[in-house]
Amino acid sequence: MDPLGRLRSAGRRVTDPMEALAQQVAERVVGLVATALDVNALVARVDMNQLLSRVDLNALLARIDLNALLARVDMDEVLRHVDVDAIVDRIDVNEVAERLDMDELVEHTDLGAIIARSSGGMATEALDAARSQAVGLDQFIDRWTGRLLRRRHPGPAGPPGLAGNPAGS
Amino acid sequence: MTAGRRPARLVTLQGDYAGAASRFLAYALDVAVSTAIYTLAVAGVSFVIDTVTRHAITWTTGSGIITSVVFAAWEFFYFGYSWAASGKTFGMAVLGIRVVRADGAPADAWRGVLRALVFPLSFLLFGLGFLGILVQREHRALHDLIAGTAVIYAWDARAARLRFLARAAETGQPPTTAPRQRSGAR
Repeated sequence: MDPLGRLRSAGRRVTDPMEALAQQVAERVVGLVATALDVNALVARVDMNQLLSRVDLNALLARIDLNALLARVDMDEVLRHVDVDAIVDRIDVNEVAERLDMDELVEHTDLGAIIARSSGGMATEALDAARSQAVGLDQFIDRWTGRLLRRRHPGPAGPPGLAGNPAGS
Repeated sequence: MTAGRRPARLVTLQGDYAGAASRFLAYALDVAVSTAIYTLAVAGVSFVIDTVTRHAITWTTGSGIITSVVFAAWEFFYFGYSWAASGKTFGMAVLGIRVVRADGAPADAWRGVLRALVFPLSFLLFGLGFLGILVQREHRALHDLIAGTAVIYAWDARAARLRFLARAAETGQPPTTAPRQRSGAR
């Protein structure tokens, strides 16, 4: 028989009720403190920027499955709230059009076929070719004249306010 | 299709000063056309007179001065009327160039007439008046400077290029020699 068995049994009889009492006291105290505490005032005193600066957002985002997150989003519902007209109003369509590579567009889309079928025939083709050859000659002569006269800067492209703008034909 | 760059091909030649070759070719075409019209007209008048009077007319014998004066008047009318009415002759229309005021505004009718009147001055002194088209920065000849005019491209090189590319795409040929356009610097 364990000589200390009786002593341990007597100790448990004392500590078990004490432990239960301590648990009850702690719960009661936490409840009282939580009731008395103004959490909003406490949060207001926290420097959130400093707190956020200590958070590694990249590591946090790396742990998020964005696909799963997006799968739960009803995009139709989101788009229903978007004012598309307001967005389009803010877009400079002319600026967008200027950035288009028209050559690529004409060569690789049906737009080229439409232009080819709708714009003139042999006469237009011959006129375009003659004019472009003449312009090539003009630029060749210009280049050599500039070299002979040792011009450092080219002259104005056209009359003031007209160069680069449609002149009508 | 690519985006994000501002290609020079968006630039058209419209409004740029026309060069010497375009202007010379246009003039040569005009001389050919006006001379052909004059010759046909003279032949027509001769035929009518011959038919009515039964007398054949020879325009060269003893009437050289008269025919020269009539021809000069016809040339003045041909060029003067064309420039005054629309700023371009037939040859200029073919080459896609036109006459405007020096500041780029459409030429007034009286400037067109004045330009035709002083045009012969550019032929004096072995055509020195035309030298301005080559060496002057605005490609203006003597008659341009006197009449306050300039000659510009009036055709849209960009549209011509797109037509060329469209034709090449339609026939399946690679676009090797698309119409030229002005690049950034001239």
